[in-house]
This record gives sequence, C-alpha cells and structure tokens, in this order.
Amino acid sequence: MRAPARRFVAGIALVTGAALLTFPAAAQSPAPLAKPAAAAKTSTWKAPRTADGQPDLQGIWTNATSIPMERPKELGAKEFYTPEEFAKIQGYHGDRNPLPEAHYDMSQFGIDPLQNKFAPNLRTSLIVGPEGRIPPMLPAAMERNAARAAAMKGHEWDRAENRNLAERCVMWAQEGPPMLGATYNNNLEIVHSAGYVAIFTELIHDARIIPLDGRPHPPKSVRQIRGDSRGHWEGETLVVDVTNFTDQTAFRGSSEDLHVIERFTRTSPATILYEFTIDDPSTWARPWTAQLVMGPADGEIYEYACHEGNRALANSLSAARAQEAAGKPAK
Amino acid sequence: MKANLAGWVAVLGILAAPSWAHHSFAAEFDDTKPIKLGGKVTKVEFINPHSWIYIDVKGADGTVVHWAIEGGSPNALYRHGFTRDSLPVGTEIIVTGYRSKDGTNRGVGKDLTFTDGKRLFMGGSAPGADGENEK
Repeated sequence: MRAPARRFVAGIALVTGAALLTFPAAAQSPAPLAKPAAAAKTSTWKAPRTADGQPDLQGIWTNATSIPMERPKELGAKEFYTPEEFAKIQGYHGDRNPLPEAHYDMSQFGIDPLQNKFAPNLRTSLIVGPEGRIPPMLPAAMERNAARAAAMKGHEWDRAENRNLAERCVMWAQEGPPMLGATYNNNLEIVHSAGYVAIFTELIHDARIIPLDGRPHPPKSVRQIRGDSRGHWEGETLVVDVTNFTDQTAFRGSSEDLHVIERFTRTSPATILYEFTIDDPSTWARPWTAQLVMGPADGEIYEYACHEGNRALANSLSAARAQEAAGKPAK
Repeated sequence: MKANLAGWVAVLGILAAPSWAHHSFAAEFDDTKPIKLGGKVTKVEFINPHSWIYIDVKGADGTVVHWAIEGGSPNALYRHGFTRDSLPVGTEIIVTGYRSKDGTNRGVGKDLTFTDGKRLFMGGSAPGADGENEK
C-alpha cells in the first residue's frame, strides 16, 4: 500500500476527532456558512473585455486545489470553512516532514504539493450543496462497471493496451473535461479568438478549441475520449457543453452518455470560478455540480511530452513478466 | 490546543494526498526492495513524464555498475527550483529508493543526498518522494 493511501486512512480516523473539536456545530445542525469570497456572484466587479466584447478569460491559470472532490462525512453539511479555519489549513507547513534525519528545507528543496499556488477557496468539498458528495451510483451502472472490471481481471498486465489512459499518455484523468487539479503541473492557458475559445492544458499536452458559433455537436456516432465541446456566453459566463464521450472516459464510473456542462466566470482580476455539472442518467439518478477556483499560474506553460520518456509502461509490463516467471501473479 | 493541531494535520493529510506519478508505483517497483546507492551522476534526462538520473556505483571490488533512477516530472521539478544545473555530471550523490520489480538495475528515487548533507526529495512515484512518511 502506498503512503498516500495509508495517510488517507489515518486522516479519516483522526479527522473524526478534529471535526468534534473544531466544528462542534456540524454534528447537530448545519454550521453557519461563510460566504466564499471568490464565488460571490453579487460582486460589482466585471471582467475586462476582449476587442470583440467577450469577457476576458485569457491568461495562464492554475487549477491546483487542496479541496477534495467529496466532503469528509465528518463535516456534515458544512459547505465552507471560515477564513480562520482555512488559514490554518493553508498555513500549516511546520513539522510536516516525519523523517527527522532529513535536511528538509521546504523553501529550498521541497518538491511538495503544498508549495503549489492555490487560489483562495473556502469550500470543504468541490461538490456543492448540503451533501457535498457524488450521488449514489445506479444499480445498473454498478453492474456495468463491475462486469467491465471482471472482464479485465487477470488481464490488466497482458499488454500495453490494457493499461489505463494516463499510463498510456492518452489522457490524464484530471485533465477532463471536467478539468480538475492534478497536484502538479496544474496549468492551463485560455486564449480567445473570434468565434473560438481555446484551452491548452499542460497535463498532458492537450488543447480544446471550442467553437462559439452555436454549431451542433457531431452525430452520436462520433465519440471522443475528451468529448466534444461547444461554447456560448451567458452574460459574464462562458458555458461549455461537452458530449460525445467514449466509454473509455469513464469519469468517476460514468458511461458514454456523460454530459458535462462547464461554466467559466472571471470573478476578479486573479480568479476564475470554474463550475461543472455532471449529468449522466445512465450512471447517477441526478446531476451533480462542483466548483473550483482557478488562480493565476506562475510562469509559463512548459511542454509535457508524455511519450518522450514514458518508460513506465514498458517497465511495468517487464515487471509483470518477471512476476509471472517467478510464479507470482502480475499486479 | 495540541489536539486541535493534530486535527488540522489530519485534515491536511486528506486534502494534500499527493499523486506525483502518472503510473502505478507498485506495478513497476518493489517496496520490499529498498535500495541505497552511492555514486557519480553520469547523465540526467530531463524528460516527461518522469526524469531519469543515471549513476555509476562502484562496488567494493572496484566494479562499476550503472543504475537508472526515476524522478519527478521535470516541469514540476523546474518550478520548484530543481534545474538541469542542480545535478551536473560527476556529482557524488547517495540515492535512496526502491528497485524495479524485474530485477534490472533500475529504481525509483525517494530522495538523494549531496556530499554536504543537503537532501532533495525526488518528487517521483516512490512512497516518501514528496517528503511524506513512506511507511
């Protein structure tokens, strides 16, 4: 078991205590919700305009986030941290390294996710609403996914094509749509042009060129791993409608009926509120919506030529063959 | 107060669970085969999705063995101040990490230590490569 997974389990066990100590109201009744500054839609601030009058989303942004997709159950209906609670989370770096012998200077040597720059976001989970969790999966969808997993079982390491999209450098799971922070290299560039918005994501080196002219999606026979994106403006917000996914995309267990609606709103000079709704009636009984806040990224987008050094794929298969030769199942 | 702090650390653990690699650590490397190698850097490949550091390790009998060590994405390393110049050819380092499952002289780095004692976490797929507890 890898360290992050163990830490997660330990965190779950400990957070129960933390919830009782820190959020005494959460267990009995919904805690007062702090208003998220970045998500305040009542702000009178308006985005600058491009030459052709579009709200200007352009720039290099980071969607790094420290917020989990689903709210820890212990936080109940508490949808937002208070700024004080959030400051504690953001500011806590000391004593984090548990290796006492290590010369671990965070500022100098820390290859550490917490050194990512995060846009301010007081949410306790990316998923909005009182539950803050993905709705239960429909029984038919669970059966579908279980059958698929069963068909692959024992063959995961047979050949490269059986490995997941990320290992094959096809698509990074968090790349989307919907676009989620991936802990590192969480950078994307938005560029407007007449009739189009382009979004280039560093991981893993993909661009979406989104037409804004109202053209329909291609026929359902055309399926793409990242779907098909069509955009339009609703006031200050760029709405991008994404359909025509493949069953390989399988976002959180979704089917090829996955429909993603993304909403980009420039909420301040330094923030874009990114909201997405997941609607897949073949998988969940109701749509669910999440929000994250993008902030300005430091520096440039760098090339992430994923195939250049993708030795892990061959090395993993080589490891599987060695395991089999030793009479052990590949895993 | 102390209990509160522990609580926040726990929350942090959930929020910051890192995923530094685009592949499975367990598929490629063996966490029951930790390695500690001292040697000279012969080459650094600053390539995605993972950097690779090559070192020559001299055994007690004078035999030199070539090792290849996987590190983090160069894009991420660069943003955190680790550049090609951080590890010139000829640099003496000690690498800790885990050996590949196929038994070749390949491994994944957890951290490396310079002769002056400075230590660098490698930001790769190994448990502990982000400075977190590996066990």
